[in-house]
Parts: sequence; structure tokens; C-alpha cells
Amino acid sequence: MTIWWLILILSFILAGGLAFIYVAIRLSRVTTEKKSLEDFENAAEKDVEHIFNDEFREELRNRGRLHFEKILGENAMFLQQDLRLTTSQLNDYMKDEITKELKEAFANYESAITDAKQLAVESIEKTKATIDEQRKVLTAQLEKEVADEKLRRITRFDENMADVVNHYVLAAIGNQIDLNDQLEYILGELEANKKYILEDVKNGA
Amino acid sequence: MALEHQKSGARSLELPVLIFGPVEIHRLQRELESLEDYMTQANIREKGKQAPLPKTSRLLEGLAGNNNFNLLLAEDRKKLATFLKNVGMKAPVIHISFAADPSSAFTAKIVAWFRTNIHPYALVQLGLQPSIAAGCVVRTSNKSFDFSLRNRFHDKRALLLESIEGGAKVSGVAK
Repeated sequence: MTIWWLILILSFILAGGLAFIYVAIRLSRVTTEKKSLEDFENAAEKDVEHIFNDEFREELRNRGRLHFEKILGENAMFLQQDLRLTTSQLNDYMKDEITKELKEAFANYESAITDAKQLAVESIEKTKATIDEQRKVLTAQLEKEVADEKLRRITRFDENMADVVNHYVLAAIGNQIDLNDQLEYILGELEANKKYILEDVKNGA
Repeated sequence: MALEHQKSGARSLELPVLIFGPVEIHRLQRELESLEDYMTQANIREKGKQAPLPKTSRLLEGLAGNNNFNLLLAEDRKKLATFLKNVGMKAPVIHISFAADPSSAFTAKIVAWFRTNIHPYALVQLGLQPSIAAGCVVRTSNKSFDFSLRNRFHDKRALLLESIEGGAKVSGVAK
């Protein structure tokens, strides 16, 4: 049995050595392929750098700049033309709109002014009529008051005439009327009213 | 009051016309009181050392003389005082206003008329009212009698108006 075991172990060892060798060979192949690919890439890069060198790039840049400037100039010209056209149209539009608005506004103003004028005229006419009416009323009232005042003054004069005459007499000859000259008149009046005086004195006492 | 005296049998006293108003009555009462005081003081003092007798007013002398009273007698003085007190309290007072201040003679005549016709002890209170121009205004306790020229003008206003209108017409025709 030990031999069989030994043979089996040696077989396993041999198989493992063979597998190791195989794997090593495979790995060496893959590394070789990678190296060749990198070489290709490096070569292409070197060629590109060789083709697209600085001069060529500068040439391309100049051509691109010129082309860009050309396109930019053309577009600017178109834009300017469009802008002018648009400005012109906008001006016309604005003129038309403003004229229209102004016409409407002036029409409204004119209408409003006409209405206001009409109202003012009507108001003035009404005021004038009222003033005329009031003037008539005031005139009538004033005439009535003047007539009343005249009548009142005449009445007052009539009523106070005695006082006026008395005042006049008093002012004219008041100092010259002697009481002794009036004695007879006073005694006569007292005598005439003696009955009433006596009666009142009796009643009062 | 005179009637009361006659009914009671007492002698009726005379009130001179110079004593015409309440003011004079009060003045006489004060004078009588002064005299009474003097007499009392003279009786108290020693004989020969009395103060000289005060001079009495003309009104008091007239009142006493007219009624035969002796002012040196206490009884007469008492009667006079009582009389003046009664007159001052009971006599009717008549107000009379003139345009100017009346003279004493004029006042005496007016007072005499009132004493003769209205009441023997009637007292007159004088007033001054220049606005009445002429005449007088008499006022008793309840009534007023206007005998002034102003009132006469009021009464004759119609005549005055007629005269003025007549004058105006004449003046208008003349123009």
C-alpha cells in the first residue's frame, strides 16, 4: 500500500509541476501582447505629433479665425440690416400709434371741453337767471323795507311829535318860563282834578 | 287826623305851610329831641352853670307860636313831639315835580292849596323834572296826574298835526 501511496503522491507532484509550467507560459504570452499594443499607440502618437505640429496648428487656427471673422462680419451686417429695418418699422409703428392715440386723446379732450363749455354756459345762464330773480326779490324787498321804514318813521314822528315840540319849546324858551306865571294854570288843573286827588288820598290813607 | 282830634275833643293843631314835607317834619323831630336832651341836662346841672339855651329854628318857633306852645314847658314839647310823630306817620304825602326849582312863596301857595282842599296836614315832596318844560306832575299814593306842557302836547297831538299839515300846505303853495 505504501508504494501505491507513494506513486499517487508522485503523480500529484508531477501534475502540479506541469500545471505550473503551463500557467507560466501563458502569462509570458499576455505580457508580450500588451507590450506590442503599447508600442503601437506610442508610434501613432508620435506620428500624430509629427503631422499636427505647431505650424500646422497655427495655420489651422489662422484659417479658423479668418473664417470666424468672416461669419461674424456677415452676421453683423445682417443683424445691422435687420436692426435698421426693425427700427424703421418701429418708428413708423410708433408714429402711427402715437398719432392715433393723440387723435383719440384730442378728440376726447375736445369732446370734454365742449361738454364742459356747455355745462359752464348752462351754469352761467342758470346763475344769471337766479341772480336776476334774486335781484328782483331784493329790489321788491328793499322797496318794501324802505316804504315800511318811511311809514315807521312817519308814525314815530307822529307819535313823538309832542315830545319833539316839547323838546323844541324847552330848548327855545325853557329858561324863560317862570313858575310863578304857571301858578294859576297849576292851581286850575289841581282844582279840576281835586275830586280824584282827594279820593285817592282818602283811599290811600 | 284833624277829624280824630275834633272827635276826641282835643284842640286841633295847625301845621304851618313852611313845614311842607317829610324832611322838615323829621328835622323838627330831631330838633325837639335835642331840645329835650338839653332840658334834661340843664335840670341835672347846678343852677348858673348850665350851657346856653340852643337857638331854635324858625320852623320850630313858627310851629310852636302858631299853636300857642311854650317850648320851655315839657308838656308842650311832648305834645309837639307827639303831633310831629303822628303827622310823619299818618299824613298823606303828595309828590309834585316841576321843571325848575320852585321858590318858597310858590311852594307855600301850592302847599296851602293842598292843606285847604285835600288834607290839613298834607305833606308835599318836591321833585325836579326839566323835561316837562312847564306845569307839574302830581303823584299821590295810587295815581299820577300829569299837568305838564308835554302832556298837553300829547293830548292836543291832533291839533298839532293839523297845524303842521296846514303849515306844510301853505309852504308848498308858496313854493
